[in-house]
Amino acid sequence: MSGACNDPKTFKSDLKPIWCPGCGDFGVLQAVYRALAAIGRPTHEIAFISGIGCSSRIPGYTTVYGFNTVHGRALPIAQGLKTANPDLLVLVAGGDGDGFSIGGGHVPHAIRRNHDLTYIVMDNQIYGLTKGQLSPTTPKGETTVTSPYGSFEEPVNPLLYCLAYGAGYVAQGTPADLPGLTALIEEGLRYPGFAFINIQSPCVTYGDSEMQMKEQRAALRPLLAEGHDGSDRIKGMDLAQQYGRTLHTGVFYRNPTPPPTYDQLVRERQADQGKDQPDRRRALDRFAVRH
Amino acid sequence: MTVSKIDPTHLGLKDALDLAILIEEEAEERYSDFTTQMEVHGTPAAAKCFARMAAAERKHHDELLARRRARFGNAPVRINRSMLWDVEAPGFETAQMFMNSRRALNVALTSETKARAFFASLIPNAVDNETRQLFTELEDEERQHQELLKVQLAQLPAESDSSEPHLEDPPVAQ
Repeated sequence: MSGACNDPKTFKSDLKPIWCPGCGDFGVLQAVYRALAAIGRPTHEIAFISGIGCSSRIPGYTTVYGFNTVHGRALPIAQGLKTANPDLLVLVAGGDGDGFSIGGGHVPHAIRRNHDLTYIVMDNQIYGLTKGQLSPTTPKGETTVTSPYGSFEEPVNPLLYCLAYGAGYVAQGTPADLPGLTALIEEGLRYPGFAFINIQSPCVTYGDSEMQMKEQRAALRPLLAEGHDGSDRIKGMDLAQQYGRTLHTGVFYRNPTPPPTYDQLVRERQADQGKDQPDRRRALDRFAVRH
Repeated sequence: MTVSKIDPTHLGLKDALDLAILIEEEAEERYSDFTTQMEVHGTPAAAKCFARMAAAERKHHDELLARRRARFGNAPVRINRSMLWDVEAPGFETAQMFMNSRRALNVALTSETKARAFFASLIPNAVDNETRQLFTELEDEERQHQELLKVQLAQLPAESDSSEPHLEDPPVAQ
């Protein structure tokens, strides 16, 4: 690798982003660069896994290992990666559709296993890449190309969803508050366990005019300013119910006593088994095709 | 949390120079990013404006860096990028689709205005005369940049939003 690990520029790749000018994801990308610089680990010790969608292009704009996977399948691949190589710092990214519709079934399992992953969802409440269809977080009543008379559907609440399944770190940020967002990502990366950060990243082309950056700045309600310290899960869930109505930013919940992570348990099991472990090469040989 | 704020009452000349260098560096990066965005999305006139701004910020950065090296050599840097966000760099959201030269120059003008206000706010709290002099000089440079941009804006033909061409992005490989 080249460049200092505490310099955000080290994490910036030569690939030119093709997001629409003004897209919230540019701010998210910058916050990721800075959070990684704050962590200070070299690029070869970090992996960034994504699904499909505008936001899922993000690993390519960094210099860390990246995998732009299949729609909705970022989490299973990241879980496998982290289990196989627990020393890697693994970030996962995607949009609200990738995470809570196509890949929605994977989220609870990644949470209940408590994989040490930081999952960033760039929630723009729309399918932007495919030109503005209704997504799982689109507000009820919203007009989109697939709901021309307004949506009938109640949106998924990503914060409550992750809190209900027991995620140890649940936060929400926005590129309208970049220092705050950077701090949340950094804290998520440092949290030992499954960390979920919902980012209200506005879509400038198909998104709701009320959710653009300027409007978000005016609507920001930092949780810390409201006296929420993040250690009370039930209080966090109570606040998370306001998703879609109040733009809370900050940590909804941070488990003060994080349980062991999946990869820690795997390593413990491996150590317990010691010499009794089957020889990996012999196990693989059973599947070899011989001519 | 790593993000920390700048306390102007503790900035000596070395720190003030380092801060100014990082501010110019951030602005140069942002204008370069905007240049790329405009090139990718087929608005070359705006791309050209942002490229000029990036070059100007780079020049200013290099001048400040040379001064810093001449005066303080390789003395350790205490200021880092986590301490500043968008002081002179335009906000990400200020880039738009279908930008023309006028809109691009207006983005730059707003950014120079906020940078000038930032340096002006540091002057009363400067710890010594040399640092105060530097902040005053930086504020004055931003003022000059504002004037230059205003002249460039005045030279542009009047804008007519309705005449903006609707530009389709060319297909891009995934």
